[in-house]
Amino acid sequence: MKRTYSYLIIVLTIYAAFTVLFTIFPRSTFSELEKRELATFPKLTLDSLAKGLFTSSVSYWFSDSEPYRDKFMAMSMLFSDNTKLRIGHNTAQSNIKFHAADSKTLAESPDLMAENQEIDEYNNEVNANANAKVAHHGIIIAGEGNNVRALMAYGGAEEGGVAYANACNEYQKAFPNAKVYCMLVPTAGEFYCPDAAKEATKSELPTIKAIHERLNDSVKVVNAYSALAAHVKEPIYLRTDHHWAPLGAFYAAQAFARVAGVPFKDLKSYTKKVVHNFVGTMYGFSKDISVKNAPEDFVYFIPNGVTYTTSYIHYKSNEKYQVISEGPKVAGEFFYTYPDGSGGAYSTFMGGDAKITHVNTSTKNGRRLLIIKDSFGNAIPGYLFYSFEDIHVVDFRYFAKNMKNYVRDNNITDILMFSEIFRAYASGRELIGYLTQPDGTFNGLKDSKGSDNEKGKSQRRKRR
Amino acid sequence: MVFSDLFFLFVFIPAFALCYLLATFIDKKYLSDNLKQVNTCKNWTLVVYSLIFYAWGEPVYVFLMLFSVLVNFLVGRFIDSQQDEKKRKTALVIGLVCNISIIAIFKYLGFLAQILIDLGIPISRPNIALPIGISFYTFQAISYIMDVYRRVSPAQKRYRDLLLYISMFPQLIAGPIVRYETIASEINNRHVTAQDFADGSFRFLVGLGKKVIMANQLSIISSQFLSDGINSMSTSGAWIGCAAFMLQIYFDFSGYSDMAIGMGRCMGFHFKENFNHPYCCETITDYWRRWHISLGSFFRDYVYIPMGGNRRHQALNIGVVWALTGLWHGASWNFVIWGLYFGVIVLFEKYILLPYIKPKTPKFLLHIYSLMVLFVAKGTFYFVDFGELKIFLTSLFGFADVKFDFISQAAIFDHFWLWVVAILFCMPIREQACKLTTRFCNGNVAIEQNIFTVARIVTAVVILVLSVALLVGATNNPFLYTRF
Repeated sequence: MKRTYSYLIIVLTIYAAFTVLFTIFPRSTFSELEKRELATFPKLTLDSLAKGLFTSSVSYWFSDSEPYRDKFMAMSMLFSDNTKLRIGHNTAQSNIKFHAADSKTLAESPDLMAENQEIDEYNNEVNANANAKVAHHGIIIAGEGNNVRALMAYGGAEEGGVAYANACNEYQKAFPNAKVYCMLVPTAGEFYCPDAAKEATKSELPTIKAIHERLNDSVKVVNAYSALAAHVKEPIYLRTDHHWAPLGAFYAAQAFARVAGVPFKDLKSYTKKVVHNFVGTMYGFSKDISVKNAPEDFVYFIPNGVTYTTSYIHYKSNEKYQVISEGPKVAGEFFYTYPDGSGGAYSTFMGGDAKITHVNTSTKNGRRLLIIKDSFGNAIPGYLFYSFEDIHVVDFRYFAKNMKNYVRDNNITDILMFSEIFRAYASGRELIGYLTQPDGTFNGLKDSKGSDNEKGKSQRRKRR
Repeated sequence: MVFSDLFFLFVFIPAFALCYLLATFIDKKYLSDNLKQVNTCKNWTLVVYSLIFYAWGEPVYVFLMLFSVLVNFLVGRFIDSQQDEKKRKTALVIGLVCNISIIAIFKYLGFLAQILIDLGIPISRPNIALPIGISFYTFQAISYIMDVYRRVSPAQKRYRDLLLYISMFPQLIAGPIVRYETIASEINNRHVTAQDFADGSFRFLVGLGKKVIMANQLSIISSQFLSDGINSMSTSGAWIGCAAFMLQIYFDFSGYSDMAIGMGRCMGFHFKENFNHPYCCETITDYWRRWHISLGSFFRDYVYIPMGGNRRHQALNIGVVWALTGLWHGASWNFVIWGLYFGVIVLFEKYILLPYIKPKTPKFLLHIYSLMVLFVAKGTFYFVDFGELKIFLTSLFGFADVKFDFISQAAIFDHFWLWVVAILFCMPIREQACKLTTRFCNGNVAIEQNIFTVARIVTAVVILVLSVALLVGATNNPFLYTRF
């Protein structure tokens, strides 16, 4: 009997402690791990109650906004990590072979870059032999220890991205007096997928090529692919985030400047800044603890010797990432600063996506650039302050104005259509819509597939 | 609401427990005397919470359930009040027709309409959502009127108490199908000792662990291959995915039954066991005596035996039972095929395997044969879409373009210990561990009991903490069987 009671006292005490913790302690509102706002308590309406939406939303809210959510999740990931068999755990490190290739690359040849219709296939010479596994959301975890890379699996077909190519063509037609460029950026998986995981993803190059082929001759192609491929041994992609690294954006911006025929300074004209101990979005997506255990440096570059002023028009969006309101034009800093260890360091550039940015520089050459981009593009404009006198940055998921008016009012001379390949694959129609929508359209984002934070999910949808 | 939901665990259960304790106190102190135990408050509490539990997922269909119980209550009362066999039988038939009509309309009408449409008859397909748990509670209602008709149990005199039997939240939405006779006496007369409560709560936690720690993790593997990876399925992927699904569905469903039995026990109800290590079976006939026992015995007692059992046209009886078993699992052709597949296998075993092959065959070969049969069955069970089922079966039998791929290898090694633990817990290792401990203690009861207690405490705490951690952020993890 004594034994029964001791069992009951211990188990019931712990159970009661959990009950108190989950019902009384303050609830979490933001997940640093998943980089998203957590669910809030739902509104009660008769309709939502009758359809069972209210009750299911309450259950969802309760388990989404748990006190100490990230701590519990880290614990569950630790558990998942320990269900794997660790054979040769320590030897895996030495399996990664770094080849010292001495290729003369396309990117270093300006003539070829100008006529860049041909893109060579890329062969992984960096970590082809690394260990690999597939984690949550189909994310490929390559390598071990400090070299872990989390890669998004690409499932897109060659024929994809038609709408995006059409959008580029439509923009060229709509703005005959401006130069329109198209730059498509592959993700890290294209360059760093180990041979062992090749079956879990597809090459992004066929889609990029197919989009290029659909472009009118008057749309100028910027070959970011080769520019990046030439520098794969440098940290041009973040290992723990779905974005590229600012260094990768530098080489892409360089390629763009060549095609656009504008001045461009090398990295000596920049001050290097570092956010240490950065762990990006892929930890939350992959739910794999090895990503957390491999923090990296987030390195970015601030231009010297050029003065510039930055102003923003901020957008507010609803939980479906649709624009609901537009703010006034306000002054701000182009580069935000983040402390070491901050997982949001990629927002260094302009502080995020949901805004229109206008940078006015001391460069006077009559060239005014509009960049229409997704979040990969955030890292580009900081390298172009020497190249253009005005730079406008629009995120193609958040835009409530009329594009024709915007281009006309700001005397835009160059338009860079920029996207990484996942986003280009699924986007395009909203871009065409911007050409005709009236100023102040706040529901124009129905076709967009949500923010970058949902990238893992949308990528999974495509695989299906 | 599902059991493996933090809201259920840490809001519903504590709130219910407090009210139920209070009700127990009132019943004991003010309503009962030495001669008669009264459960009025307790039963009301249980009924009210059961209705909240059901309405949480089905705020409208809860009225359908109330209506269904009312019909069965009236039928039961009528049967009980009549002595004339003919009238009793007529009332029973009316009751059965009502129950079967409810389930037919809400579960099978869409399927039937689709069949007619496929045959070229132009009708519109009704869009009726399946009420959660309707297959379970309708079967319990049938069990009630059948037991009253057969005079196994007297009819319930209070609507509330019949509602309690049918809607009781531990077994409402995914079984086990508790027979009326099993708990009829406990509705108004039940006791809970500390030992009952300890056993019940431990059973509940074991079930929680089976669901959250085992089934949810295994479901990641199974859906990786069987749903996400269906278009590029390799032969190894089909096997790994199906093995994961086989384990997942066992831990999922038996976990739910454990939680139901455990909660029932905590309140003084004794439900019958629903599983008995089904994957240790030697034949498929044996398997069905170990898997979802409450469903098998329902069909045996209420369909198979009334049809004549093994006394006349046994093959027909078996065929009917298995077609019904298939249909019960879902209104789609794959479940019908799945049921008939088992029917054919059971007939094969009855006439060929059991009398001629089994006596001469080693046990492990029989076991492998059973697992192979189950492999195909579980696959058929998984795929509602015939195109996908075809891809699965062709891949399973080696006709896939790719025979072996890296992902399947990774699925084994990355979840290695999960596989090991899952396979171990399909076998009666707890019983074996107890036996070993007893032998080890060599008659020293005190030491033996101490070991058991410590093991039990550690197991319970580990399961509880780990399950909570795994459930935070896992916002969608319904039990598979709640869709039947």
